[in-house]
Amino acid sequence: MSMRTARSLLAVLLVGSAFRSTEAQDPRLSNRLDAPTRKALSAIVDSARAQGIPVEPLMEKVYQGLAMGADGTRIVVAVRSLTFEMGNAHRVLGAVATTDELKAAASAVHAGVPAVELGKMKKQSGLRRSLTLPFTVLADIVSRGVPVAAATNAIKSLVGAGAKDKDISDFQRNVSVDIEKGAQPAAAAETRAKGAVVPNPKEDREHE
Amino acid sequence: MPDWGRTTLELMVQELQHPVRLDESFDRRVMVRVRRVHAERRHRGIIGWLGAAASISRRPAWAAALAAGVVAVVSITILHPPQTKAAVHPGQAIPVQFVLVAPEARSVAVVGDFNNWGLNDTALVAENHNGVWSVSASVHTGVHRYAFLVNGKEWVADPTAPRAADDDFGQPSSALVVEASTQ
Repeated sequence: MSMRTARSLLAVLLVGSAFRSTEAQDPRLSNRLDAPTRKALSAIVDSARAQGIPVEPLMEKVYQGLAMGADGTRIVVAVRSLTFEMGNAHRVLGAVATTDELKAAASAVHAGVPAVELGKMKKQSGLRRSLTLPFTVLADIVSRGVPVAAATNAIKSLVGAGAKDKDISDFQRNVSVDIEKGAQPAAAAETRAKGAVVPNPKEDREHE
Repeated sequence: MPDWGRTTLELMVQELQHPVRLDESFDRRVMVRVRRVHAERRHRGIIGWLGAAASISRRPAWAAALAAGVVAVVSITILHPPQTKAAVHPGQAIPVQFVLVAPEARSVAVVGDFNNWGLNDTALVAENHNGVWSVSASVHTGVHRYAFLVNGKEWVADPTAPRAADDDFGQPSSALVVEASTQ
């Protein structure tokens, strides 16, 4: 048995079942999910916890599935998938990543962005810069049809140029409007990324 | 050493190599204030300046206190420029307004991570303002998934927000990022 496996098993034994403790507090879990589903979810959540993956987003996924009327199998698949994606994000972003960054990164991974690209962005931006919003926007524009490479390059260039969250939010809004108006997604992302961090002369004059 | 440990170490070394930088707009804001103070002083003119000087000679203690007060106010204003946004600390909840334009809807609720996707008593029921449905709620800092539930059965993503890419249950949802800030 490797040291890591032993440590994981010990962690599971020490912390008990995160899923079961939530289950005891929220009747929705026991009322709406059958025993095999609850057992499967409990195992996934405990395994995630043992790996150092935050379990709160996994529980939120369970609640989302229940609200949207998904069956047990679908919820288990979704939670397992999220655990895998958060695990990938956790490996490349390191222990410095916050739960929110991991959650947003998992969303980008789910959209098709290679986790290694997210790790590069984190290295590029430094420890202080939260990448929660950039990762969220990256997932969004990929889901709107921007090819993964073009979307990743656009967000990387914004983060690299020191764009603030507001700039990246504006970028997302502009790209989505451009696409809705019929622009080619890749062209919209590339063009808007070029203009996103150019200083606004009008704003400068107002400060003067 | 695990992979993530090496990444962390590399990130820490990289971070420590970065020079400490002030906000890019700091210099500009300071200079704008300084120029304004300078311009006001010029406009006051030489007579006003002489008058101020005369008052100092008549009531030195009062004038000194007043001058110190003015200097303190100017200094505080320069060092702490007016803030357009209050600082939001991690874990703090801030009011967020959710709006959906749905003239044909009979009911609109907002459910998401922030209310554990509760459909009944914890759902945020929006008010109808001639087809513009809105509800405000305190949402903690973090990234949240949410969606509008129209007429109790139809899931609608927020058209003004980023999409949540992981729509695992065949229904659309949106992403909301409430960031902690020191602005």
